[in-house]
Amino acid sequence: MNIIVCVKQIPDPETPASSFRVDEAAKKVVPAQGIPPVVNPYDPQATEAALRLKEAAGGGKVTVISLGPESARDAIKHALAMGADEGILLNDPGFEGIDNFQTAVALAKAIEKVGQYDLILMGRAAADWDMGVVPMGVATLLGIPCVSIAKAIERVDGKVRVTRVLDDGFQTVEAPLPAVVSVSNEFGEPRYPQLRQIMLAAKKTVQVWNAADLGLSADQLGEANRWLKLEALYVPKVESKVEIIEADSPEEKARILAQKLRADKLI
Amino acid sequence: MDFDLTPEQQAIREQARALAAQFDDAYWRRCDAEHRFPWEFYQAFADAGWLGICIPPEYGGAGLGISEAAILLEEVAASGAAMNGASALHLTVFGLNPVVRHGSEELKRRILPEAAAGRLHVAFGITEPDAGSDTPSITTRAIRDGDHFIIRGKKVWTSKALEASKVLLLARTTPLEECRKRTDGMTLFLADLDPRYVTIRPIEKLGRNAVDSNEVFYDDLPVPVRDVVGEVDKGFYHLLDGLNPERILVAAEALGIGKAALRRATAYARSRHVFGRPIGQNQGIQFPLADSYAKLQAAELMVRKAAWLYDNGRPCGAEANMAKYLASEWAFEAADRALQVHGGFGYAKEFDVERYWREVRVMRIAPVTQEMVLNYLAQHELGLPRSY
Repeated sequence: MNIIVCVKQIPDPETPASSFRVDEAAKKVVPAQGIPPVVNPYDPQATEAALRLKEAAGGGKVTVISLGPESARDAIKHALAMGADEGILLNDPGFEGIDNFQTAVALAKAIEKVGQYDLILMGRAAADWDMGVVPMGVATLLGIPCVSIAKAIERVDGKVRVTRVLDDGFQTVEAPLPAVVSVSNEFGEPRYPQLRQIMLAAKKTVQVWNAADLGLSADQLGEANRWLKLEALYVPKVESKVEIIEADSPEEKARILAQKLRADKLI
Repeated sequence: MDFDLTPEQQAIREQARALAAQFDDAYWRRCDAEHRFPWEFYQAFADAGWLGICIPPEYGGAGLGISEAAILLEEVAASGAAMNGASALHLTVFGLNPVVRHGSEELKRRILPEAAAGRLHVAFGITEPDAGSDTPSITTRAIRDGDHFIIRGKKVWTSKALEASKVLLLARTTPLEECRKRTDGMTLFLADLDPRYVTIRPIEKLGRNAVDSNEVFYDDLPVPVRDVVGEVDKGFYHLLDGLNPERILVAAEALGIGKAALRRATAYARSRHVFGRPIGQNQGIQFPLADSYAKLQAAELMVRKAAWLYDNGRPCGAEANMAKYLASEWAFEAADRALQVHGGFGYAKEFDVERYWREVRVMRIAPVTQEMVLNYLAQHELGLPRSY
């Protein structure tokens, strides 16, 4: 079974608030100094799903693709250390500032260039922007089904059976292959890389494809072709006000508190 | 000259960091407070194959060098696990070096794969109450009786004896007065910690409370001849091979704690506002931290150099000693400054820097005191007369 896993490197979600800054004029997050970016936390679960499916199928290949700066190689290396077979980094100055749609275009082109695939797995969303739309975009561009937010995936009779996480329960659906499936944290803990696997992964070469390799022009990656327009980027100001409720008894305090909360339409 | 880590070393750094990060400061605070061995942490590293990093592949390990083990232990310590985490692994990562280098084939096949898989714990019994740096003065005796040695004596600072089933034990097999050289006549055993003959008494201590240190009394413990490591009467020389790598690894661990302390101090200096601005805006706070940063960077270079020399089969006595000296001195200073930057909170366990401070303090004493390092450098590097 040949599976492609798309992974992304993001700013460390554990970055202390005091180190998190945005450049409002440039509408960009300023990378926190001394805090290296990390693999998007949902992505190792997608890799884990790919490895389990490959093991269950008794063979195949897991190819990992990441679009990002040179440092995104680390996200690929992590997946290789977990046991993935090959890695491809999509890296080009033209990818700087592209939107979700253009990301989906570039990933779809890369997947077509890889050629043979039965299944494409991704994390349910990237934990930095938390939009979760790229899986659908890629599936649409490739003309194949997309099943989102999976907690369990199995291959049954040439199809994929996926248990999805809903707000109020679970839903099991089947889709023909090839398909795109986005994997949720409910899938379970990803494996820790074994030292031997880490050493093997370190020796593997990660292929690098640029925009031209994917047949993408500067125009396709330009602003005119962005579907998402970022109007403003800022850290919201949090203002807190404390009011002490004075009363003779706890019951009276509670009554006044309830009245105030109702007046503010909070209850 | 190449200061870059190899891709493999870089991967080891990243993956060791990622795995260690699964165990946060709160976990270590609890283990330390409860004097509880960090089994979950130990098992996670065992399962991922890290314990056998220096054990040859034919015995179930990865066969890597001290450079790689130093990176692993630095990252473990730097995660906030400090000595509680580093020493939980250290003894398996490198303590079995005398067995690897001098043990019989049968002993290696019996012991090393089990240790690499994390199933066999080995404690270390070298130091005695009246023989610390002066190892030849040990009084623990091993007397041959048929196909066994009978061991009697007392050891102190035996780490992990409560968890271990075996102990790497140094005992005198030929009385000192009958030896041509003081360093002759000692033998290394891989003995069972058999409770019928062995009494273990934990020592209350300043820090590293998750990994026990003990007094151990051996009362006519029988040890089969097949459990002798290397040659009878040559045990001291078998241990010597391991001294330099041990110093390099301890230096790496100290370096890791120094980095953890500096990281916490810097984050606190940035976020703590007093008189309307972050305290880190004051040079009185900035300068000590910047000074510690520079010193830890320098110590790291010495650790790397010493490890590189060892892995390339070159003499590294001076560098291993200097790495241990500089890293432990400057890491303790960094931890002390981190505590100071935190003000009153630094004294509270909740902020962890007091734990780093307590744990890194031991590195100025063990495995060799700073003063003995200076003795070594004065004598061997500067050619001055021996002072003791």
